[in-house]
Amino acid sequence: MARYGMALDYKNCINCKACEVACKEENGVLLGADKHRIWVGANDVDGEWPLLDIVSATFMPSQCQHCDDAPCQSVCPTNATYYDENSVVRVDPDKCILCSYCMNACPYDARYVDDRTMTVDKCNFCSDTRVARGETTTACQNTCPTKVRTFGDLDDPESEISELLRTREHFSLKAHLGTKPKLYYLT
Amino acid sequence: MSETTITADAVQEQSFIAKAKEFVFTIPVNKVSIKDLVDFEKTPRNNFIAVLTLAFIAMFVVGVAIYLSQGHHAYNVTREHPWGLLIAVYIFFVVSSTGLCIVGSLGDVFGFKDYELIAKRAIFGSIVTILAGFAVIAFEIGHPVTMMIYNVLSPGLTSAIWWMGTLYGIYLTFMIIEFVFLLKNDMKMAKIFGLSGLLVGLAAHSNLGSVFGFLNARPISNGVFYPTYFILTAFITGIFIAFIIMGIRYKNVFPEAVKTMLTGLAKIQALLISILIFFVTWKMLTDIYGGMPNRADVALHILGSWTFWAEVILAMVIPLIVILKDFGKSHVLLVWVSLAGMVGIFFMRYNLVHDTQLKPLQMMKIREYQLAPEWIHYFPSATEIMISLGGVGLCIAMYYVGTKVFNLDADH
Repeated sequence: MARYGMALDYKNCINCKACEVACKEENGVLLGADKHRIWVGANDVDGEWPLLDIVSATFMPSQCQHCDDAPCQSVCPTNATYYDENSVVRVDPDKCILCSYCMNACPYDARYVDDRTMTVDKCNFCSDTRVARGETTTACQNTCPTKVRTFGDLDDPESEISELLRTREHFSLKAHLGTKPKLYYLT
Repeated sequence: MSETTITADAVQEQSFIAKAKEFVFTIPVNKVSIKDLVDFEKTPRNNFIAVLTLAFIAMFVVGVAIYLSQGHHAYNVTREHPWGLLIAVYIFFVVSSTGLCIVGSLGDVFGFKDYELIAKRAIFGSIVTILAGFAVIAFEIGHPVTMMIYNVLSPGLTSAIWWMGTLYGIYLTFMIIEFVFLLKNDMKMAKIFGLSGLLVGLAAHSNLGSVFGFLNARPISNGVFYPTYFILTAFITGIFIAFIIMGIRYKNVFPEAVKTMLTGLAKIQALLISILIFFVTWKMLTDIYGGMPNRADVALHILGSWTFWAEVILAMVIPLIVILKDFGKSHVLLVWVSLAGMVGIFFMRYNLVHDTQLKPLQMMKIREYQLAPEWIHYFPSATEIMISLGGVGLCIAMYYVGTKVFNLDADH
């Protein structure tokens, strides 16, 4: 029983997309640009020459935020979306009816349709692959060359992620929506 | 002693079954053969409607066949725009159903005598429109059978879709029972089931509005507006359809009693449309005021789309002007205006679904050589259009068969 979350030192991201590839490889996500559990967003440089805002050109790795109060879970008519024992937001493909309400309700665009099962799929923190095998890192974290990601148990005061969140300033995406994300962006 | 009880129970059960059988077999229906079904007045208008209906049903069959072989790939729905035309058409049909239920209830539930003569037709119309809606949504939901199983086994009670679907199921049951009592001319029971159906239908319908209203991530839809607006537009839709079905029934030559009813409905319609215009105007103004991101920009984008103006002109401006011209006495013109009004109502549903998804939720570039996401574009695929038109065909066909099988006039 853990409460898994992830801290992202996003300013270290170099947009190499190794995390996207590792995720697809580890979790058997189908090929295709729209079929992704995680992604790296890129911001263009804001402003016009010569007033270019160089620092606005950032990369923002993202994925399902594993919200504590997940809109996708609230709107699911069959409880196909559920919180597992580690507080990870997951989808039970046997119960999913593909009404796509969760895709509409998720504020982060973190869900897509898996064409093999024709059900909605999303990041599950490698719960049925690496974590199930006893590994302590996710595929995206493991492959990252600049160590952007830190995955771990938020309830364990000794964990690396707890230490990071205690000592570094951080923010969450769309926090004003009250979804209580468990992805934390370190500043 | 116990044997006696068992025997008494068995007798009671048998008598219940006998009563139920008697109840079902005494429902007044006309015996209709296939020959009777093709036996209609062969006017150009009737022939045109018959051919159109058959063409729509053929499209439905083709559309469903494509969907069954290709799944959602046959639709133009995407990750960013997961709800497409079929959701809009489903809403269009269930709004029609709720509206007809309200119109039908005016006479047999609320006791307004003028409106009793449309009660049977309106209630039957509410049944066929919701069945057409279910026929369409069955091919939009990826796993309808799984839905029926897990809606019961693991209900998502915080889900507006669960409540909407469940309440619509109950509503359909009440509507059918009410219709049976109307056929049997048992007005007391019809009133009880009519009122129950109306209340459940209104609850179901406002829940459908809340499917959009609960989307906290979509400021353009989020809030109390849609759950209330849905009820208002349902009533308006019901009156449009009432004009159309009475126009067809009386071939636009209305008896005095029908004229009185239609004038009354037109006056109600003028009030409702005025309220709707008031609602929509203030919704747009509050959306734009202050320039709140993800709301003001979306509202301005909506104002620039021709489908929004199609909705405003066809479903609001033209009907209101025509009714106010002579306070609803141009009945024949109003039948045609109502037909155009239904086109406007279709755009209203389409806009509702599309506009909710206009703004991407993820605004960063995630691929090389990609432009930054702007507006989500969507145009329905041929399969989606075929299944949608098929829904209209099914609705007309079911209604036509109903006019042959049941006596839908009040004088029967």
